[in-house]
Amino acid sequence: MCMAVPSRILSIDGMVATVEAFGRQRQTSLMLLDEEVAVGDYVIQGAGGNFAAERVPEETALATIDYLSGVLADGLA
Amino acid sequence: MEFPDTGIAVTLSTAQGAVRRVSIRSGRLVRAAALFAGRTPAQVLTLLPTVFSLCGTAQALTGLTAMETAAGLTATPATRQARRILVLAETIAEHGLTLCRDWPPLLGEAPDLDAARRWKQDFGAIRPLLYPDGDALSPGGGRLAPDRAALLRTAAAGRDLLDHVLGAPADSVLADAAAFAGWLKRAPGACARLLAEAGWPCPLGTPTPMPPAGPADLDLRLRTDRNGDYLARPDSAGIVCETGAFARRAGHPLVAALNGFAAQARLTARLVDMAAALRELAGLVQDLTGQPAGPVSLTDGTGLATTEAARGLLAHRVSLEGGRVSDYRILAPTEWNFHPDGPLARTLAGLTADAGLERRAVLLVNAFDPCVPCRVTVE
Repeated sequence: MCMAVPSRILSIDGMVATVEAFGRQRQTSLMLLDEEVAVGDYVIQGAGGNFAAERVPEETALATIDYLSGVLADGLA
Repeated sequence: MEFPDTGIAVTLSTAQGAVRRVSIRSGRLVRAAALFAGRTPAQVLTLLPTVFSLCGTAQALTGLTAMETAAGLTATPATRQARRILVLAETIAEHGLTLCRDWPPLLGEAPDLDAARRWKQDFGAIRPLLYPDGDALSPGGGRLAPDRAALLRTAAAGRDLLDHVLGAPADSVLADAAAFAGWLKRAPGACARLLAEAGWPCPLGTPTPMPPAGPADLDLRLRTDRNGDYLARPDSAGIVCETGAFARRAGHPLVAALNGFAAQARLTARLVDMAAALRELAGLVQDLTGQPAGPVSLTDGTGLATTEAARGLLAHRVSLEGGRVSDYRILAPTEWNFHPDGPLARTLAGLTADAGLERRAVLLVNAFDPCVPCRVTVE
């Protein structure tokens, strides 16, 4: 499934952020975001993962990560 | 624990100048929706658009409709119309992003991020123009109060933006094969250059478009799918149908005229789909009426719902017991188009194995519009 994993922003350099999800870090462009983001915010990636698509409220991000952790633990991943 | 690679790997094995074997392996988590079990409908409706954000609106609305069906509820015509507008807006935004963000890099060019941002922002902003209270996902429909003028302005801006991206009026470019060929020759932008490159003869045989509401036995197959085989490799009476923009627009004169050019026909169908979605959206807005929110609560039962999302048929089947989800299954369009024996595999099989094979395979993969990253390897 085309699952989006919420990633937490660790640092921002210009329009590029270093984000982390499930222990993996990657860089993503903030050029297509509709709103300002800051370190500690959660974003989800668009298709291909090169651009952050939207900011996700922390509560929703954590609920999604909890669900995805369950998917991993249950062996469905 | 690292989250696994959920992409698709396409491997072409060649011998004696031709592709002899096509292997499509998918890491997609097709059974993940089973983990919705035990959650409330409200919790699932919060998760759906985030977990499946690429077509989050279609996912959430399909889930909501399946839950309403389970409860024996049918949304009012105005609510159904508003939901259709939301799905069309998402389709337009997704296609627009593909054209501006993804297609230029396929040519080694920089993406047109200004245009990409406009598709995303303009059509992402449609929801509050329909549901100002933010309750679009309320069972039975939220308070519908359409701002018709603003919605029509968005549709008009979308038509102008499509003309800008194509470098010519979309209506004239897509009118017929001669006008389209003239546009390719003038090649006013990245879209035209990519479509021109994709115009190599590549016969597919007779395409098998998805029936509009999906296979007749969809509910039965989803219900009896014990271990996820159908979710991973669906079929309709043994046939793996094609779904998405090409299947939807196969009857359009230009798309039909490009039969025999598999990549070009499918990429062009995306443009035809955008233009048609913009027209349909504007038409639906014209006579859309407001209505108050219906205080509706969900009850136990089982329901199936389908939506024509940007990439094709999306199906959700949900069972509710004791006010919570007891079973949830999602069948997404990519499982049809990227099936190991599906339309992409059939198209790749038999391609000439020369120096241009990998490039042509990459263009074909993009033409079939996967919703996850897809790697191509030639061996």
